[in-house]
Amino acid sequence: MENSITDEKIIADLLPQKFGKAGKIWVGVLTVICLIGLFAYYRQLRYGLIVTAMRDYVSWGIYISNFVFFVAISLVGSLITAIFRLAGVKWGAPLTRIAEIIAVAAIIFASLIIIVDMGSPERFYNLFTHGRIQSPIIWDVIVITTYFFISILLLYYPLLPDIKILLRFKQKSGNGLHKFYNYIGSFWQGTPAQFKLSEKAINILCITIIPVAFTIHTVTSWLFATTYRPGWDSTNFGAYFIAGAFLVGSGAVVVAMYVFRKAYHLEKYITEIHFEKMGRVVVLLSLLYLYFNMNEFLTPFFKMKKSEEGYLNGLFSGDFSVVFWFAILIGIIIPVVILLFRQGRKPLPMFIVGIMVIVGAWFKRYLIVTPTLLNPFLPMHDVPASYHHYFPTWEEWAITMGSLAGALLIITILARIFPIIPIQETLTEQHEKAI
Amino acid sequence: MKRLYKNFSALLALALIFAGYNTFAQATPKADLSIAINYFVDNNSVPSLLVRVKTKVNGRFQPVEGVSVNLFLDKDSAGTTIGRVTTNRKGEAIILIPVSVKKQWATSVKHTFLATFKGDKKYAEGKADLTVARAKILLTTADKTITATVLELKDTTWTPVKGVELKIAIKRLGGDLPVNETPTFTTDSTGQASADFKRLGMPGGKSGNLTLIAKVEDNELYGNLSVEKTVNWGVKFIPVNTFNNRTLFATRDKAPIWLQLIAYSILFAVWGVLVFLVFNLIKIRKTGGQV
Amino acid sequence: MENNSRRDFLLTGLITAGLVSGCTPKTDPFEAGASDVALPSGKKVKLLSVDGEEIEVDEAFLKPVPHMPPVSNTEARIGIPGKKFVMVIDLSRCKNLKKCQSACNHAHELNPGENWIKVDPMQDAEHTAPYWEPTTCMHCDEPPCVKVCPVDATFKRQDGIVLIDSDRCIGCRFCMAACPYSTRVFNWGEPEIAPAIASQPYSCETSVPQKKGTVGKCDFCADMTRMGELPHCVSACPNGVFAFGDINQDSVSNGAETFRFSDLIKDKGGYRLMEDLGTKPSVYYLPPVSRNFPFESGLENDKEQNK
Repeated sequence: MENSITDEKIIADLLPQKFGKAGKIWVGVLTVICLIGLFAYYRQLRYGLIVTAMRDYVSWGIYISNFVFFVAISLVGSLITAIFRLAGVKWGAPLTRIAEIIAVAAIIFASLIIIVDMGSPERFYNLFTHGRIQSPIIWDVIVITTYFFISILLLYYPLLPDIKILLRFKQKSGNGLHKFYNYIGSFWQGTPAQFKLSEKAINILCITIIPVAFTIHTVTSWLFATTYRPGWDSTNFGAYFIAGAFLVGSGAVVVAMYVFRKAYHLEKYITEIHFEKMGRVVVLLSLLYLYFNMNEFLTPFFKMKKSEEGYLNGLFSGDFSVVFWFAILIGIIIPVVILLFRQGRKPLPMFIVGIMVIVGAWFKRYLIVTPTLLNPFLPMHDVPASYHHYFPTWEEWAITMGSLAGALLIITILARIFPIIPIQETLTEQHEKAI
Repeated sequence: MKRLYKNFSALLALALIFAGYNTFAQATPKADLSIAINYFVDNNSVPSLLVRVKTKVNGRFQPVEGVSVNLFLDKDSAGTTIGRVTTNRKGEAIILIPVSVKKQWATSVKHTFLATFKGDKKYAEGKADLTVARAKILLTTADKTITATVLELKDTTWTPVKGVELKIAIKRLGGDLPVNETPTFTTDSTGQASADFKRLGMPGGKSGNLTLIAKVEDNELYGNLSVEKTVNWGVKFIPVNTFNNRTLFATRDKAPIWLQLIAYSILFAVWGVLVFLVFNLIKIRKTGGQV
Repeated sequence: MENNSRRDFLLTGLITAGLVSGCTPKTDPFEAGASDVALPSGKKVKLLSVDGEEIEVDEAFLKPVPHMPPVSNTEARIGIPGKKFVMVIDLSRCKNLKKCQSACNHAHELNPGENWIKVDPMQDAEHTAPYWEPTTCMHCDEPPCVKVCPVDATFKRQDGIVLIDSDRCIGCRFCMAACPYSTRVFNWGEPEIAPAIASQPYSCETSVPQKKGTVGKCDFCADMTRMGELPHCVSACPNGVFAFGDINQDSVSNGAETFRFSDLIKDKGGYRLMEDLGTKPSVYYLPPVSRNFPFESGLENDKEQNK
């Protein structure tokens, strides 16, 4: 039985809202950061990668660690949307749109930041005209492109019923958005036939996206694991990266949950129970990631091979020890401790933990790239002194921040034009509860 | 009158200043060049000259590029000009003896080669000369013994020369491998030097051929002489190109089959699903229109 | 009538083919010294023989071979048939003079700080002897850098040389991460080359001019070896540390001396770097036994850039 008053209330609550003052400032700040990043990139195009601090030994820097970070976060789409749905986890339903939006934004910027890292980006097309199927980079290009399209489809299919609802509110959307909604979803009538096709499609997508998501981050880890270098020459890398990806993805969802809940007053839909449940998920994933970290570091530490000695000592007690222990404590251990308590799984502590997880994860990705490169097999010799260290230049920071700001901007814009919580699914759930 | 005097004194002043400037400009010393001529005869056929030009920079000799040197046979005149060469990046230039000096060449068995450099802005003029006597070197082989003979043309007869240092080697890429452990041999009173071929099992081409070379290097009297002979003392070696197989490090058209199978089958499977889903969307769109 | 004309046509074709194939000399590219054998160009030059007679010699057979322009990059990808280049570095002779480095940098117009040859002070363990180890690109027979290149910008030729096509390189630097010998360098900024050279088309065999945003490395002076000459580092070293040659001819030369490669490696216990990684390098090292110079004599040349 349709209770039209409750339905109308739900719809009113969940429609995309215009930006308030805070929203406008937020978009403004992000845009400014993006513009600074663009200017820094112009300098990089003009003068070459010499404007960065990367040199012959540290030939990959924070662009690559940022790339890995973005690919990691993009896995959240497969976790929350696909795995939860297939496992019948009902409470995750309101979070699926947030997850998909984060995934799409992350994968777009993963592709962009990898182009930024190229020394001769004007030859980008060579990847397609002369691509070698033997190269892990080509595998990465293929999987990222595939994952992008899957994520777009997984965002689009469940969006169709919501667009039908959005089309009813032309006044609220304004002319431009209304035309856009018409263009992308006016053919959706909500008939049983259409629903059947859509449900089937979403199921197929969910099943497909899981192996593709696993592949995308495994192949990204193989960019490192297919080399001989200490710290990268590990059979553990695929699983280690995926565990980290799920953790940082869930952290990102938690942060987004809190922000959207606050900004759009969605307390009735993203309830404390959601935070409670996500808290348990984050604890589980943190412990899993901690397990992989122990495998990754304890076993080489036990052996202390000569080629790995400099690298391991640098991480545990040397130049990188501060960042390393910071990333482990802030990124994994303290979140676990906080979340083990019921009080810790309330919205605000969860939000802080989410931020800690994300920050810890970003630094963890930096630790994957740089320390290894500073410990080559042969001594670093016959090179200028600057080659022995790496600290990013302002251009690198600006571009990196620009990419992060850009991803946040895409998330913000998508949340502005699409309902952040699936309206139709919420309605359906209410009806089922009533029955 | 006064104006004329003024003009004249102005001109004179100018001329003096100009002259003074010139002498001042010429006061910077020009560097000296060291020019060396080397004489080569390969396989007793065409003689050639190698000119090396160096200059001392900070106490070390460096090759000089772009120096033009004139070469003459015996006399510094137009009729005995061998040619004009310009040194390359290594400071070297090579010229073959042209037909135009045939007459002068026939006049004697000893010749002097002259090199002159007129001088330019950077370098002072320079000269060099080299006197060589006509000689030839022969190579004979018997069983696994190689004999090199050096003969000098005295008047019209070839006489053997004693005490000439020579090398007997196998021609290889980038260098000549001595046929045994002795690096050099000296000709005896019959002008001959013998060497035993000790490099057994040397790879030598499709038919097992090796090229032997006997050479006199930088001899004071005779310059550089060399002669080659092909013998069949090597082992047959047919090179096989091992880098044209399907490997992970081959070019894209030689990717391993198993890799292509796995990659493309996964690709087609997943994209097949995506294409199906897009068609599904179109189907949804169509059913929508029917309502 | 028709049958006759067809038969005639075929016969003429056969005879022509026979003549043509008979006329083109079947130069066995592997025959000793055959790399110097050029095809007759047909143009003859009159020269004076040492006996004072006029002889005619085909221009192509004149020595030295006149300077040839670099081969096309398509040709450069194929390499010289029948040869497999190899380098032997004698560690007992190295005094860290770095003449190899300056000759290489000069010949390839490299930026300062971008050394393709690095001379490292090495000491394998606390009680083992220190020595100077020059490293070039190893031109591995299982090159990890070639395996990972996404656009075929670096490739292995049939003569064993691994080259870089700077017109194809996208600057992803995966090859630099993959190389365990840290031999590759990157053109981070615009290379400081004279405009006349910088405007030349890039040749894979000379690796000149280097381009901004692409990778560079030792190329075994592929243009020199094509002409039968030794790489610049080999000629530049006054101590004869580098010896270069063709493993198919079993001989290497350092300019002054030529050695039988198999004997040299066997007698002096030659080895390759990081053999256990399975890269199968083409550069062999002779251990620093009975050294010509003490290790300390090389220290003064280890300038500020290595503080």
